[in-house]
Amino acid sequence: MSSLATAPCREDALAVRGVSKTFVATVALAGVDLTIGAGEVHALLGENGSGKSTLIKILSGYHQPDPEGEVLVGGQRLDAGSPDASYRLGCRFVHQDLGLVESNSIADNLALVAGFPTRLGTVRRQRLRRGAREDLARVGLDLDPARLVQTLSPAERTGVAVARALHEDPTTPARLLVLDEPTATLPDREVERLLQIVRTVAARGVGVLYVTHRLDEVFQVADNITVLRDGQRVATVPTTSVDRAGLINLLVGAEFDEIQSASAALPPEHDAPLLVADDVRGQHLDGVSLQIRPGDVVGIAGITGSGRETLLSVLFGAQARAGGSVSMRGVQLPPGRPGRAMREGVAYLSADRKTLGGFLSLSTRENVSISDLGRFWRFPKLSRRREGREVAEWIERLDVRPRAAAPLPLAALSGGNQQKVLFAKWLRRSPQVLLIDEPTQGVDVGAKAELHLELLRAARDGAGVAISSSDTDELAALCHRVFVLQEGRISDSLTGSRVTAAEISRACLATDDRSAR
Amino acid sequence: MNTLRRSNLGPQTISGLYLWALFIIIFGFWTPDLFLTSATVHSVASSQAIAAMLALALLVPLTAGVYDLSVGAVINLSTVLVVVMQTKHQQSMWTSIVVTVVACAAIGAVSGIIVVKLKVNSFVATLGMATITSAVQLIVSDQTQPLPPINAAWTNLTQRTVFGFQIVVVYLIVLALIVWWVLDHTPVGRYLYAIGGSPEAARLTGVAVGRWTWLSLIASSTLAGVAGVFYASLSGPSLTYGQALLLPAFAAVFLGSTQFTPGRANVWGTLLAVYVLATGVQGLQFVTGVLWLNSMFNGVALIAAVSFAVWRQGRPTKVHQTRDAEVHEAPRADGDLQAVGQNAPG
Repeated sequence: MSSLATAPCREDALAVRGVSKTFVATVALAGVDLTIGAGEVHALLGENGSGKSTLIKILSGYHQPDPEGEVLVGGQRLDAGSPDASYRLGCRFVHQDLGLVESNSIADNLALVAGFPTRLGTVRRQRLRRGAREDLARVGLDLDPARLVQTLSPAERTGVAVARALHEDPTTPARLLVLDEPTATLPDREVERLLQIVRTVAARGVGVLYVTHRLDEVFQVADNITVLRDGQRVATVPTTSVDRAGLINLLVGAEFDEIQSASAALPPEHDAPLLVADDVRGQHLDGVSLQIRPGDVVGIAGITGSGRETLLSVLFGAQARAGGSVSMRGVQLPPGRPGRAMREGVAYLSADRKTLGGFLSLSTRENVSISDLGRFWRFPKLSRRREGREVAEWIERLDVRPRAAAPLPLAALSGGNQQKVLFAKWLRRSPQVLLIDEPTQGVDVGAKAELHLELLRAARDGAGVAISSSDTDELAALCHRVFVLQEGRISDSLTGSRVTAAEISRACLATDDRSAR
Repeated sequence: MNTLRRSNLGPQTISGLYLWALFIIIFGFWTPDLFLTSATVHSVASSQAIAAMLALALLVPLTAGVYDLSVGAVINLSTVLVVVMQTKHQQSMWTSIVVTVVACAAIGAVSGIIVVKLKVNSFVATLGMATITSAVQLIVSDQTQPLPPINAAWTNLTQRTVFGFQIVVVYLIVLALIVWWVLDHTPVGRYLYAIGGSPEAARLTGVAVGRWTWLSLIASSTLAGVAGVFYASLSGPSLTYGQALLLPAFAAVFLGSTQFTPGRANVWGTLLAVYVLATGVQGLQFVTGVLWLNSMFNGVALIAAVSFAVWRQGRPTKVHQTRDAEVHEAPRADGDLQAVGQNAPG
């Protein structure tokens, strides 16, 4: 295991030198260096937007880096922007979305990428199975290749994805394995199993770039750690030379502590709560209780898999609720009934804008008006004049571009404008409680500010707003109070001067009592 | 066709009308004495009226993305039931019609329950119901094609002429107006199209997805039932007519979805497709008279028209591609950054 080699030598699995990436006006990566020796496990840490994904996409050939700087894989220069070249030099990737076909067997999944062994067009089952066993053995898994992927535990699935990525290809041996948040959705007890797989892979001489949000496993598995912040490499340190607190400071930086919550000026009124959740359980949720009051802007923070992504959806009834109760001004909301929640004045916008938020094939006008058609209906027809007028008002108020968007299909608008249209859909109902998942994900900077303004305006007008976001700056800028989720429970509640991006990040990553270091 | 959506009547959205004109000109010159006669116009209009009604029946659930393969079987059952009620069971004409239509609606209600409550794929559920309906039809008909009632009121129901057209053409126009009104001018239509766009997004916007899906299947089998009654009055009961009509009716709906409001199945596009195809087939039959022509022409026209529409629009496939790409490339993190890169110029 090489430790912190500064001069790249031939054995290095990966040597990134001075690589930058500029998107139109934004610098996503600024002169980053990173070296991974053969058989080294190197953790890459950073907040959302720090440049981790950009770096991975450069390695995979998805993004073309700026011309200066170079990437060497196994000593050979990587041609920029070519996925084929990346594969040929020995880069292998396992993304958070594993890309396995759950209803197929392990062997079939492995062969989907590697190709099926055939004779005269017929699949050779014996050989397929033998090959699958070899692939699995390479990552230290002993599973029956005939098992369906859906019967595997989460860690085993990730293992299968790793085995598939590392499938022996005689022409191009794997030199570098990139794992992008492999444990994000794994339960704790499964993590160790995966780490064992990672160690097995590294022991075979493959360099591993391990991207994660979870600090514990970094200390368990990584040899060296590189921290990115705002596209810059903040530090590269051997794991043995840093402790947890030190690492968190590297991650969030001290200067963020100074940022005050912009919304602190909006004092929460302490009226009777609008929405009350009590011991809510569901996917990734293990008993969450909270209240949303008029004028409140509540943030939901947490790392991926903590329950942050599912909480609002379960409160609204979009996703199944396994237990607990949700009430709106004293009226109980039945689980899984979005229509009921809407009638009580709740609005919910999913993070998945394209399949759950809006109707891409329908016009902007229809997307806005669908949330309440009753107001345009006078027998015998919908009044298109009134509908057109109201939609035009919303397009004007939210500054949707193009101005003539009403008859265009939603798919024709940019991400930020789509999100504005969906905001209009809900805001026109004057909801009393707004639940919004990732309000500005995939939205450009200008639209982001306007959407934030609309949320604050709704709160000022007496609505209760809850936003769940992986963007801690966004939470810090908007929220009076931030609930931090860990493993499906609220582990911390930040208010007042503690609502800062740095504090939220710290709280998300903080170890709870059970596994204190 | 002053619709809410892009009522873009440019050459691309009404290519069917041009094609229709082209057929009329070509065959008009080719066989003017046969083709350019009012008899031909009247005969095409009424012979296709039932097929058009069946296409309207398919259209309603299809707007919500639900397939109803049972309409062919339902139309057969309807023709037999309405006749047997009158001849064998001596019921009055109107009683027979009401009972028949209600029975057909009930078939749709059952399909709907299977689709909505048991969550069976609509393709499978209605295919099964189609087979069951065929069995019921055999029971009702005693496995023989019943004789039509001899009764002027019964034949006049559809064969009375209005301005030279058999009155069944007027019924078609009335049904089309009703379906058009529901789909284009009431909230119900919006809900159906929304469900067709994304059932889950519709559910999260408070649309009662189950209820509207159920009702759309009831509507389709009711329409098929009505069409069956008219067919029985027009041509007598049939054991096989409906099944032969099912796929051409689908073809008409898909073809029609390239017209007027491209990408969206709609009433006038469907009717246009039915009549353009019928005109072409009629003209060719005057010219050659070979038997295979009908199917060949319909099949080629469907594939050609829909391929053309897909190629020209390009949009739906593109959307799917970007969605896939995002799922694989950008799992949440750094989403903002990516968007800045993509959107900043705009």
